[in-house]
Amino acid sequence: MGILLRISLRNLLRQKRRNLLLGAAIAIGMAILVMANAFSHGISDVLFNRILKYVSGNISVSFTQNGNRMNQLFRDGDRMKELIRKTVPEISSVNEAIGIFSRVIGNARTDNAILVGMDLKSETDPKRLADLKENFRLIEGSYDNLARKDLENPVLLSDEKAKSLNTHMLDVLRVRFQDVNGQNQAARVTVAGIFKPANVFMNTPVFLDIGNLKQLAGYGPNDIGQLYIMIPNPKKNAIPGANALHVALKPPLASAFGHLEFKGRSATATALGFRVDSASLAGLMKLLPGFFADYRLMSNDVLVGKALADSLGLHAGDRCSLSYPPKSGGENVTATFTVTKVLPASTNFPPNVIWVNDRAFYTFYYDHWPSPPQSENGAFLPDSTSSLHPFLCREWILMNRSHTTEEMQRDLKLLPQLKSHAVAVGVPTMYESASMIINLEYALNLITLGAVLILFFIIQVGVVNTLRMTIRERTREIGTMRAMGMQKNHVRNMFLLESFFLTLFSCFVGILLAFAGMWLLSKIQIHSEGNHWDMLLVNGHLHFKPSVLGTALFMPLILAIAAITAWFPSRTAANLPPSEALGHFG
Amino acid sequence: MKTKNTSSPGPFSILKGMEKGRKLFLLLFTTAAIAAGVPSGNDILTQIEHNTHMTTDITATVSLTQQKTGQGIKNIDMLFYRRDTDNSFLIIMTAPESEKGNGYLRVEDNFWMYRRNTRSFQHINRDENIAGTDAHGDDFEDRKLTDLYSTVRDSSGTEKITEDMLGKVPVYRLEAIAKVHDVDYPRKIYWVRRDNFLTLKEQSFTLSGTLMQTAYFLKYTPIEGRFVPVEQIFLDEFEKGNKTKLNISGISTHAISRDVFTKAYLENLSK
Repeated sequence: MGILLRISLRNLLRQKRRNLLLGAAIAIGMAILVMANAFSHGISDVLFNRILKYVSGNISVSFTQNGNRMNQLFRDGDRMKELIRKTVPEISSVNEAIGIFSRVIGNARTDNAILVGMDLKSETDPKRLADLKENFRLIEGSYDNLARKDLENPVLLSDEKAKSLNTHMLDVLRVRFQDVNGQNQAARVTVAGIFKPANVFMNTPVFLDIGNLKQLAGYGPNDIGQLYIMIPNPKKNAIPGANALHVALKPPLASAFGHLEFKGRSATATALGFRVDSASLAGLMKLLPGFFADYRLMSNDVLVGKALADSLGLHAGDRCSLSYPPKSGGENVTATFTVTKVLPASTNFPPNVIWVNDRAFYTFYYDHWPSPPQSENGAFLPDSTSSLHPFLCREWILMNRSHTTEEMQRDLKLLPQLKSHAVAVGVPTMYESASMIINLEYALNLITLGAVLILFFIIQVGVVNTLRMTIRERTREIGTMRAMGMQKNHVRNMFLLESFFLTLFSCFVGILLAFAGMWLLSKIQIHSEGNHWDMLLVNGHLHFKPSVLGTALFMPLILAIAAITAWFPSRTAANLPPSEALGHFG
Repeated sequence: MKTKNTSSPGPFSILKGMEKGRKLFLLLFTTAAIAAGVPSGNDILTQIEHNTHMTTDITATVSLTQQKTGQGIKNIDMLFYRRDTDNSFLIIMTAPESEKGNGYLRVEDNFWMYRRNTRSFQHINRDENIAGTDAHGDDFEDRKLTDLYSTVRDSSGTEKITEDMLGKVPVYRLEAIAKVHDVDYPRKIYWVRRDNFLTLKEQSFTLSGTLMQTAYFLKYTPIEGRFVPVEQIFLDEFEKGNKTKLNISGISTHAISRDVFTKAYLENLSK
């Protein structure tokens, strides 16, 4: 084998010009393949790591109110953060993410913007902080200005936004937005910094300190917006982490236990909410067929068991109140209900319960989250085997894990059909939130590969042709070697190795060429303001992200193509009878 | 421009319903209140509520003219049907051309948006905008003004109601504060005619006290003992120059067939 290798390598040097030209063609093909692959990876990198990471985290936990994705609020924030930290291993950070659509008035100009909370205090990883500062490079002011108390609601905005609002450092702007309750609010904000984003998509946000924004938007001390979870190696860990979190987020039954009061009388009672979608209402009515034969359960009903009603002297139309301990501690809080019907005694509907419709239930429940009731204190807490269980309100609605953007959008569209006022909790990863980007990258790679394979086909025609010429020129040499005792397969392998080495060296040169080309192209400053190609750029430069795995896979592919195309001429050479070969004159 | 009406006689509020049979009581009550001097805030809010809430089925043509700085004028026309018994409603857009044939249908807890070009219904939420205006689905819910707002009291506990003049018209000026979270504006000031308790002007404020919107109710039409503000203007006080004019015409209080509040009817109407 050693001698074959030596002969093959020596032969490569015998026809220098021909092999050089052929090698150059292969090298250029390889360079194009590597560069195209790095470019499509670069697009994904820009979209995932320079945009999506900031707008959806590696994993996000969303809390959608009333099916409105822009209305993100969960009133038991600490509990949720604790649950996340317990469930997802190796968390780099859990950040609150609040974005609010707003209208901004600058100096005689107006524009739309998204007010985004920035939590620099909880960002302790210097690398991520550096990444952030690179992606939002300040050209005026400083990040520390967000914490300044002498400025009224300090904000950082992009140079483009500052231009469209005709505003400068320390100018005061007015913003209008809707708070967490949907009320219109207005505020004055001060320009404390102007940044140049690495990507055109990041021109829209106007950054405020998260604490400031929460205060302006009416968030309470224990309220949170969306949560963004950052984890190391998200490509590997994000989906398993989200799956684990989804299991842990299975919502428990929602209930409040306290004293139901009416006209000075009081009795311990559990308040349970019932779901009001048509299927649930029908299901509940089936549990008490006699009673519901005459009465149709409505989505605004508040029902009380007969024993409880009798003990308080309650009748339909009476307004009673439930006093219960809130989870946050302190004095009991009161929720009031107007009873619409008194239920007869039934084993399915226990006596010490007030059954509250979904809307009324969540209104008081989320305003003052009740302390978890204990069955040992007399609270009625049906378990999952109870016939009532499927029709009762949970602390939140857990959305299915979606695998694509389309699935996620479809699930969100279906939310209003539940007619529930419960918060819908979702756990998407950035790969699912933007599956179309992965599809785009996949499509780009496929197109690139297809184009390069065609290119290589053309190159390989050249390889075949060259080999045939070589064989023709070296026919007598083949005859001599065969006469000296060289076997057929050795002759074939000699030519195969020659092609293999030519392709291998060319591939290495191609990779070097590709890296040089990428370096060169990424140095060119591209001015494309207002152009959609902006999305492909980082700080005005093309962004390449070469993939070691991709490159490593391309090499054997190209070598295999070279070997296959070289096989047939090599075999022809090997099959030449020595006598015929020795007598060849050409 | 805001066109929400849950809390005041806004563009759509008169098209909502409330309980019947209180008319005589309220008239007597109001007369007594006037005779006794400045009525209480609750009396005024109750009377506003009573004056403007219809108690019959309604069919009307609603025209909105939105003027936004730098964007020109946009006319939005729609046909509106409302059933009194359960507050079901149907809206079909007739202008502009881009919206023509699109519609909204609310029956009980179901709220659908219909898109003519795709001929599809989509379930939407109660807080979603209607036809690009600031009106929401929940604006059409039957909520009483007195459940949403109460009169602001000063440090001595006195209600902030004063006798005032709006031009040459004697009015009560009442400052109101929201009792619940889910209203558009947490603070309002009403200028209400002293003789018949019709709102002539309304200002809406944020929690911090910024004036956001002023509404003028230019013309009322008496229908079935109630008053319909058929001409209104909403001025955007935040973004000066933006305004919306609202006109209601072709009002009918005849009972509407049950078939109207169906998907099939909306689809048919949009053709």
